[in-house]
Amino acid sequence: MTTSKGVSLAARKRFRLTSDDLWGYAFIGVSMLVFCIFTLYPVISAVETSFLKYRPFGSQYIKWQNYAETFKNALFYKATKNTLVYTAVVVPLSLLLAFSIAIMILPFPRKVQSVFKSIYYLPGIASGVALSVVWLWIYDSSPQGLFNQVLSFLHLPTQNWLSSSKTSMLSLMFMALMSGQGSNIIIYIAALLGIDNSYFEAAELDGATFMQKVRYIVFPLVKPTTLFLLVTGVIGSFQVFMNAFMMTGGGPDNSTTMIGLLIYKNAFEYSKYGLACAQAILLAIVIAIISLLQFKLMGVDVEY
Amino acid sequence: MKKVLSILLAAMLLLGIVPALAETDTITVMVPPVTGTYLTDIETWANEFTAIHPEIKVEIIKTSWDEHNGKLTTLANAGEAPDIAEVSYSTIGTLVNLGVGIEIDKYMDAERLADYDQNALDYMSLEGHVYGLPLYITIQSIGANKDMLTAAGADVAKIQSEGWTYKEFLEVIKNGTTDNCFGFVFANSGVTAADFISIFGASAGITNDFTADLKYAYTSENMLNLLKAVEEMTSSGYMPKYAVEAGQRMVMCETGNAMIFGKAMPLFELNINKNNAALAANDGKAVENSIHVNYAFLPIPTMEGVKETCFGSVDGLVALRNKNTTDEHLKNVCLFLDYLCSGDRAAMVDSTLLLDPVCKSGREVYAKYAVTGLDEGNAACAAREIGLVVAPPSGVSAEQSTNARQLRDEVIVPKFQALLAGEATAQQVYDAICQEAVKLFGADGCANGLI
Repeated sequence: MTTSKGVSLAARKRFRLTSDDLWGYAFIGVSMLVFCIFTLYPVISAVETSFLKYRPFGSQYIKWQNYAETFKNALFYKATKNTLVYTAVVVPLSLLLAFSIAIMILPFPRKVQSVFKSIYYLPGIASGVALSVVWLWIYDSSPQGLFNQVLSFLHLPTQNWLSSSKTSMLSLMFMALMSGQGSNIIIYIAALLGIDNSYFEAAELDGATFMQKVRYIVFPLVKPTTLFLLVTGVIGSFQVFMNAFMMTGGGPDNSTTMIGLLIYKNAFEYSKYGLACAQAILLAIVIAIISLLQFKLMGVDVEY
Repeated sequence: MKKVLSILLAAMLLLGIVPALAETDTITVMVPPVTGTYLTDIETWANEFTAIHPEIKVEIIKTSWDEHNGKLTTLANAGEAPDIAEVSYSTIGTLVNLGVGIEIDKYMDAERLADYDQNALDYMSLEGHVYGLPLYITIQSIGANKDMLTAAGADVAKIQSEGWTYKEFLEVIKNGTTDNCFGFVFANSGVTAADFISIFGASAGITNDFTADLKYAYTSENMLNLLKAVEEMTSSGYMPKYAVEAGQRMVMCETGNAMIFGKAMPLFELNINKNNAALAANDGKAVENSIHVNYAFLPIPTMEGVKETCFGSVDGLVALRNKNTTDEHLKNVCLFLDYLCSGDRAAMVDSTLLLDPVCKSGREVYAKYAVTGLDEGNAACAAREIGLVVAPPSGVSAEQSTNARQLRDEVIVPKFQALLAGEATAQQVYDAICQEAVKLFGADGCANGLI
């Protein structure tokens, strides 16, 4: 049976919205609204601004000039290199560290596990600024600095931790590795707890060593977690800002200037919003490409 | 009768409504704690001003020094800048370049503008237009433990009254260096390195970013001389080889670990006297391991062939454009701006900072607020140094000013940090600065040789 417009009644019934459907759409609508206002609109606005010589009263359309200026700027390349080096060192080491700690925590009873998890997560709940102040004291270049006192005790020469380009980047990396593992450890422990014990029992019957169990059972089964942490870690690392801003201001000799810091300075110190937006868009493109590559290369045999 | 009553009632109603309908103009002011009591004082001044001008309402946005500039830039970029904001003169170029600076000379009486010292007004001007009013000229130089300085063979009174050469300075810091004490300490960690360049720039004859003929000054031979001097000082052992945080320098002087320290200002006499008092009272408030220090404010030493100057910076209040700005509103804004920067208000701020007012009306009432009991030699030295401050040349454009600031932050300071860390030579730093400066200002826009 068909209506005058040729649409079958069965089809109309199939697409009729029930009350539950409407409620569902209402809830989705709220999220969509929040997404559109706080994510989509700023992104579109940033793309638009990247083509402007931004002024609050009368911006000027300058085509690709901000992008051209970015590609001509030596500091942009230096900041990109610094960010890549920081990411290449911090992300894998951070995953390795979190995984190792999670493996070591796992054999303990649940209550002891919780104590360790809380201890490792503590830096995560502390204010980043407060943490930076503590690390500034640790890295104090004077003989009173904590690390320098240790070096003096060992009769080694003291170091200009944050004021020498030889040690400044290493200092930031070490700080990131020491203070940002809490959530990674918790996620890894959750993944490890999800592995069925029968695999380990079978391996033990076969006489597998600890390292063989880790390699052939644990690694493959926590791969989705590793991929997730790798992708989010790389994204977070590319956007790193506060460590450099608080600890070194990008110096010395721009050896710790990261892209995030460069964007911040262009936008909020030199009021070059258009240029900052162009650099932010380029950063987003780079992050998207790297994330895609990670999924392509590592996600082939990952099952969720 | 009813008609008469109705008319009377209507008239009374109108009389009641009309004043309420009369529009009040609201002025927003954003300020950090310029002095310890500034944020409270400004509320009092706003109330006094509103009592004189009931049609104007004042809203004060109080900020901390840490957040002030970031908040101001964000608001300005959003077109919601406060009508009046506290800024250092070096920020004006960025604000004008952004299109939010207001040429206040168009809205103020020339007679009122003449109340302010031209030298200080020049700092608040770009391309011949005044964008704000000065609150004070800060002089930034070096300070010392007077007794240690005398023991190192320095004639403190002579130095304070006549100045000294860089050669004499080197000799004194050499004599003052012992196993437990550095002859000279300058805060140079991170961005504080910029102060080193500005203050010792005056020592080498670089008084501003641009010369009188608007050439970029940091490409001159004076800069190379300055960098070589810094190289000499850092490698001499008279200065620490490690980075010194801003907060450490005065503490090192107070604990007897440094003889001369920078940057220093006349105001530091109050801090050091406070520590001396705490030591005497033994109330546990003194800096740990500190000793009694007689503070001496000193002029910056002058390099050979250079006329003596002092590095100065002007802080003041600027008028800014926002979405509600109209010509009528701007007249009110300038009225309040002038009120805040002149008379008793200026005298109170300047006396707290131990600085001389930069307006006639402030000087007239300064005696009422002047802090007494301070070292006469320091006061005389500070007054002499203010006279040696050279204002920026007129005609610098907003774009030149912004570019100079960016070049300082992205090239000069980072390269200077490398020099301090012993990772670059003076010549390498100088070459890097020249290379980038030529890209920005062109070869013709950069100074050559000695200036």
